[in-house]
Amino acid sequence: MPLGDVLNPDLFASAVRIATPLALAAIGGTISERSGVTNIALEGIMLTGAFAGTAVALATGNTWIGVGAAIVFGILVSLIHAFASITLKADQIVSATALNIGALGVTGYLMEVMYGHPGTTDPVTTLPPLFNFQGPATGVAGTVFQWVDGVFLSYTPIVYIAIVLAIVLNWAMYRTKWGLRLRALGEHPRAADTVGISVVRGRYLAVLASGALAGLAGANLTLEQVGTFTENMTNGRGFIALAANIFGRWTPGGSYLAALLFGFADALQIKLQVFRDVIQIPPQFYYMVPYVLTVIVLAGFMGRAIAPAAIGKPYEKEKSS
Amino acid sequence: MSPANERAVEPLRAWMPIARKVLTPLASVALAVLIGSLIVKLSGGDPVAASMALFSGAFGTPNQVGETLLRSTPLLIVGLGLAWGFRTGLFNIGAEGQLFVGGLVGAWLGLLLGGLTPWVSLPLLLLAGMAGGAAWAFVPAVLKAKVGAHEVITTMMFTYIARYLVSWLVVGPLKAPGPIPQTRQLPQSAILPLLRDVSAALPFGRAHLGIVIGVALAVVVWLLLKYTTLGYEARAVGFNPAAAENGGISIAATTVKSLCISGALAGLAGCIEVLGIHHRLFDQFSSGFGFTGIAVALLAKNHPLAVVPAAILFGALSAGATTMQLEANVSTKLISIIQGLVIFFVAAEAVVDWVIRARQKKAVSADAAR
Amino acid sequence: MPVLELRGITKIFPGVVANDAVDLSLDRGEILALLGENGAGKSTLMNVVYGLLAPDGGEISVEGKPVRIRSPRAAIDLGIGMVHQHFMLIEPLTVTENIVLGREPSRRGVIDFGAARAAVRELAERYGLHVDPDVRVADLSVGMQQRVEILKALYQGAHILILDEPTAVLTPQEVRELFAVVRTLTAEGLAVVFITHKLEEVMSVADRIVVMRAGKVVGETRPAQTDEAGLARMMVGRDVVLRIEKKPATPGDVVLSVEGLKVSDDRDLETVRGLSLQVRAGEVVGVAGVDGNGQRELVESLVGLRRPSAGTIRLRDRDITRDSVRDTIDAGVSHVPEDRHRRGLVLEFDLAENIILGDHDASPYSSFGVMHPPAIAATARRRIEDYDVRAPSERVLAGNLSGGNQQKLVLARELGRDPDLLIAAQPTRGLDVGAIEFVHRRILDERDAGKAVLLVSLELEEVLSMSDRILVIYEGRIVKELAAGEATAETVGYHMTGGGGTKLSGPAAPAPEDGGLKL
Repeated sequence: MPLGDVLNPDLFASAVRIATPLALAAIGGTISERSGVTNIALEGIMLTGAFAGTAVALATGNTWIGVGAAIVFGILVSLIHAFASITLKADQIVSATALNIGALGVTGYLMEVMYGHPGTTDPVTTLPPLFNFQGPATGVAGTVFQWVDGVFLSYTPIVYIAIVLAIVLNWAMYRTKWGLRLRALGEHPRAADTVGISVVRGRYLAVLASGALAGLAGANLTLEQVGTFTENMTNGRGFIALAANIFGRWTPGGSYLAALLFGFADALQIKLQVFRDVIQIPPQFYYMVPYVLTVIVLAGFMGRAIAPAAIGKPYEKEKSS
Repeated sequence: MSPANERAVEPLRAWMPIARKVLTPLASVALAVLIGSLIVKLSGGDPVAASMALFSGAFGTPNQVGETLLRSTPLLIVGLGLAWGFRTGLFNIGAEGQLFVGGLVGAWLGLLLGGLTPWVSLPLLLLAGMAGGAAWAFVPAVLKAKVGAHEVITTMMFTYIARYLVSWLVVGPLKAPGPIPQTRQLPQSAILPLLRDVSAALPFGRAHLGIVIGVALAVVVWLLLKYTTLGYEARAVGFNPAAAENGGISIAATTVKSLCISGALAGLAGCIEVLGIHHRLFDQFSSGFGFTGIAVALLAKNHPLAVVPAAILFGALSAGATTMQLEANVSTKLISIIQGLVIFFVAAEAVVDWVIRARQKKAVSADAAR
Repeated sequence: MPVLELRGITKIFPGVVANDAVDLSLDRGEILALLGENGAGKSTLMNVVYGLLAPDGGEISVEGKPVRIRSPRAAIDLGIGMVHQHFMLIEPLTVTENIVLGREPSRRGVIDFGAARAAVRELAERYGLHVDPDVRVADLSVGMQQRVEILKALYQGAHILILDEPTAVLTPQEVRELFAVVRTLTAEGLAVVFITHKLEEVMSVADRIVVMRAGKVVGETRPAQTDEAGLARMMVGRDVVLRIEKKPATPGDVVLSVEGLKVSDDRDLETVRGLSLQVRAGEVVGVAGVDGNGQRELVESLVGLRRPSAGTIRLRDRDITRDSVRDTIDAGVSHVPEDRHRRGLVLEFDLAENIILGDHDASPYSSFGVMHPPAIAATARRRIEDYDVRAPSERVLAGNLSGGNQQKLVLARELGRDPDLLIAAQPTRGLDVGAIEFVHRRILDERDAGKAVLLVSLELEEVLSMSDRILVIYEGRIVKELAAGEATAETVGYHMTGGGGTKLSGPAAPAPEDGGLKL
């Protein structure tokens, strides 16, 4: 098996591409969970964002407006989750499950109503890579260029946005008022309340931010990677993103790196499929890789990572204790 | 302590929870259907025609009643498993995967055990289906019990793994000759009899013995939950793990037992689906029963007996949807929107519950507050 | 003009009037003790002042101006600070982060940690509240955490400071230090409200005393005009037995024997470090100590909830070191846990289901996994009667009982089992006087019936009044054993800080003559 067919710039580039939606959703999960609200609805929000992005891009003919729509609809769906879990103090996992099932239904339903055929939407123009450098094609210089261009310069805009967000949010979480207060909310909301920080407002903002990020993740899937929306195309990515957030110890940077690990495993699995005639493994086993990896990661690291103390618990203001 | 505190309970409130338990799920369904109608209306359809078509599709003829029962069966059984999990504080969101494995085991063994009489092979296959579902829940259960890996993520991952496993088997080792990715037809000894073959008084089309098994199981699960130490320990852990642990109950063991019971019932649902209707395995044999089962269990407020009507409701929605699509030209996807809405309203309805419980708790803890 | 004035404050919880038309005024530079037993309404009143609870009636004035305090933010803006009984500190954050939270010095949203640290240092300097600004709060002792809480209030500009049961978790020496700090604060012009139910503290620190009972103010006095017995009468509404009556103990064989026990906590830090103790039949052994010195892990390892890393635990001649909770119960150990809501009861279960918890899988309550409801109900009714649990029937949910009745329910289960060894952790926490007396009486009855009792409590007075022998726990070891006769609050308190006492400062208060009142 020629090593160069596997270990090439494209392997790393596809790892980064595959990691991007996971990373965006995972960072969203990090922000939401740091504020004390679990967000199992990432899956449904991402799916909604993917669909809304495609539909609006098709309707307007402008892919960037589609990206904006994906973010807006991500926020709208997360608003429902925020309302249920913060204002109504409903069970966060149950309400999020409702959203996941509902999102599957609504996108499937609208797709049939709007495009008249089940399964997929019409194709949409995807966003092109941000840069387009020309360089030497041969020799040592050519190899170096291929690696640098392939691994760092070949991506579409949202891929870079994800990297910038991971770095900026990681810094902000430890250096800004917003970050300090966010961490306080998820650890001890009552303590935050007693110094005058609004728990409700802080948690709403965090959940809405996670919705925006998961919506953007959906836009990346349809408007940068695939070019159409297909039913249930997120395929469990929202759940994998949650695992990445845990593996990344509830930090934006860690979430990105964990997503990158998943992305790399997936990219490797795709590369290796080329050789499935040589190493006789059915493709289904390759498809299982991200899911198996997620379980292994959770099994290995769950006990060691310490979750925010108040995660998943509704805050009761007038609690007499 | 003031005399007001000494009044330990308010007897007048005793009936309230029961009324609420019945009324609020009904309200949730009504609200969900209302919003569903609105969606139909907004997308240019006729909600009245759609509802009529839906209803007649579900109950119009004995055959259609049969379809409703047919679709209620897996929902009922998987819903019982989910309810058991919820009662223990476990959210087995991946029941779908256990259901797949149950169906897989049923089909595989069914093909192997062709020579046996149905009296022997059917119980054997059903038990094997349960074992398969339980086994598929076992790893997430142990991970939950030992390292605290959240069952929502792990069981979901196992669902994807199960689907790929089945999809490999039906194109690979278990594939029947021919172009279609499916197994061979099961032998007669592995097929659940139809109701109409059991008794002429039950002319319900394709409905099979599974619904009878399901209803009987609802009673069994209810008795187990209420009158056995197994159920007592599950409920104790679900309500308050720390107190249960202090009472000598192993949280880890109870978690594993409960998630496996949940998985066993999901596996049975899948097995019955294969032995009852499809009579073979193919990779789309479940249309998300494991997920709809969540709505069923929640709507039933995790009460095993209430799971029966809740399952029939969702079975009817699903059975009627096809007619609705044909006659009123409304997509069957509407049903999954309604499912999501029902779960949401049941979750939000916990608000009503929560308010009243919080008020009671406050009355109690108020003396601690002062 | 008073800095704070309350007129007719009323707060109603469903079924209970927590504050009934309460009037109160606070002057600049004074220490006002708000005295009352658990459940009298003191914390509720102060939570109203701090904007955590909305009053159902009444008026509040600050500096003579009528105000409406809708949130803690509003209270802070009015110069009101509060140190809660359960600290409002975020453990994974540093001291500085905790103190500046909500009012962070910042430029365009970015926190200026240099300025924050400097502000904390300056405040600490000014009030003599020294603490490392960069250490994580989780790594501080309870006494230091309290300093952080006070600094937090001062940082927010408090000139009215409410201290809710501030001494509950402190050693007598730390209490003295706190009093010194409080006097410094009032000398600087702050007004301090000191919520407590401990009489001797009131006598030594307060300028003025307001007594609350059942939601009402029942009296006002000054230390010079009263004594502890008088305060107790005012607080409880009847004459109170200051010391519990008990017969001399007649200790028998050793029932519990612990040797070289080592146990780690949830963070994997070893908190019990080679501890040894013995409890004999017919005696109450009290373990005194400051919270966080290994008591919780000790108790949890004794009852099988936590696995020790080294050492042995023997019950008579049986080694139960590695036994599960199940086996420990079967061996004859009963456990009254420190937190009845978290560990003691399943609040959503009815009384009968709670009473059999732990015995549910044994005869006569079940056989071969099937429960026997009639037998369960019969036992439940009998125990409810025996332990005076006030409830209309055994089918009532435990969550619907009052705190005192819930604790009686726990006793009904744990003592009704007829154990050889009773381990009681904080058995009277949060109870009123009547319930406390009941619990103490029942525990002594067990002793008199020849049972071994290990009492672990943070209430020094409880340990002093109940125990036949007192063991002082410090950093996971028993550092001192004292006979009941030789133990006083001062001697025990001295050993509770490891007997070093080198870092102690502040004026030494005279040791209370008779160990004071247990309430």
